[in-house]
Amino acid sequence: MVVNDDSLGAPSGDAGLDLSPRDVAPSRSRRGQRKWVPIVVLGVVIASAGVIVTQFLTSAIDYYCNVDEIGAKDGCETGRRLRVQGTVDRGSVVDDGTVTAFSITFNDVSLNVRYEGDPGGIFKECIPVVVHGTLQGETFSGDRIEVKHSNEYKADNPDRVENELDSPEGTGCSAPA
Amino acid sequence: MTTRVARDRVTGTPFTRGLGIVTIAGIVWLVIFGLFVTPADVNQGETVRIMYAHVPGAWLAYLAFIVTALSSAMYLWRRTRSLTWDRIAGASAEIGVLFMGISLVTGSLWGRLTWGTFWTWDARLTTTAFLFVTYIGYLAVRNLGGTHHQRARRSAVLALLAVLEIPLVHFSVEIWNSLHQEASVAGNTDVTMDGLMLFTLFLGVIVFTLMYVWMLLHRQRALTLEDMLDDTGLDRALAARRTEAGVS
Repeated sequence: MVVNDDSLGAPSGDAGLDLSPRDVAPSRSRRGQRKWVPIVVLGVVIASAGVIVTQFLTSAIDYYCNVDEIGAKDGCETGRRLRVQGTVDRGSVVDDGTVTAFSITFNDVSLNVRYEGDPGGIFKECIPVVVHGTLQGETFSGDRIEVKHSNEYKADNPDRVENELDSPEGTGCSAPA
Repeated sequence: MTTRVARDRVTGTPFTRGLGIVTIAGIVWLVIFGLFVTPADVNQGETVRIMYAHVPGAWLAYLAFIVTALSSAMYLWRRTRSLTWDRIAGASAEIGVLFMGISLVTGSLWGRLTWGTFWTWDARLTTTAFLFVTYIGYLAVRNLGGTHHQRARRSAVLALLAVLEIPLVHFSVEIWNSLHQEASVAGNTDVTMDGLMLFTLFLGVIVFTLMYVWMLLHRQRALTLEDMLDDTGLDRALAARRTEAGVS
């Protein structure tokens, strides 16, 4: 038998040495048990990768549309389930304890939203949100709300003077008409 | 002589011990600044403090995976072929997985507090999760057995393929509509971040980098000792066969 791993450095004087594998008593050593671990991990990894890709593609079926794209862009048809992005209008949030109603705006186009429950997160006026759901008449009925936050970070200063420049561009964060 | 051998079998050196002390001091500094000195964010409130672990964790994971790829390329290149490069690649990938895990966990907590959900199948989150499991798979492939050079060859090829996912993760927020915000600092020429927040974020990156180097030095030396143990085991088996055959 030729040992050809250059890291082993088997002496050339070992010619004729019996290097054939032999049956040994079953060992429950840690290293022996560990041989199966990477194979199991690899199986789990492949399955996980499959789940991740499947979930991503499945969720991508819900088109991601800005408010102004509803009914105007391919994939944003009014009859299908959508993810709609817009900024919560100032003064529009009404919470009666079970239903939260508000309107969102993007590129000066507004949409009324109805959501059963508390949106959670840092939901508030003048913050961008993504609402999952379907359009029912003139109101978008949401079953999931995700609050977006921008890549801007400002210190929470009690002396800060809020002005319109702080509002996201294109939304105006205006009160509903 | 025993003392000298024992000294050769440890992973620490005066340099790594000094580096460890500096790293611990940096962690303390980061915790104090991150939790107590920096201001709360006007929109996110106190939850913004998660950023000081989340962002450095992600950046260092990218760095660790890039080091893995570069070391793998060095191993595959005939002129620089050495198992040391392979061990650096393996050690860096392990640390990268750890940092990516930190980034995913802190990101999930941050998402619950700001977005209102622990997880969503958003482009950035999905590609990051895919990158994470890819490198767990890389570590599993490293441990599939065979000689050290067989391990090094197959894992080096995988590392060079896996690193291609990093641009996809980084630019996912620009390629797809994403719930995740775009880059605040890296690749953004118009940084809009409070000065103290930005300073603490960079402090976090420096501290995480020190931590990465410290762990990399120790881990690649530990991997060297593991390989030596494997080789010694074979040497012992060969010695037993030689004794048996009467070969001196």
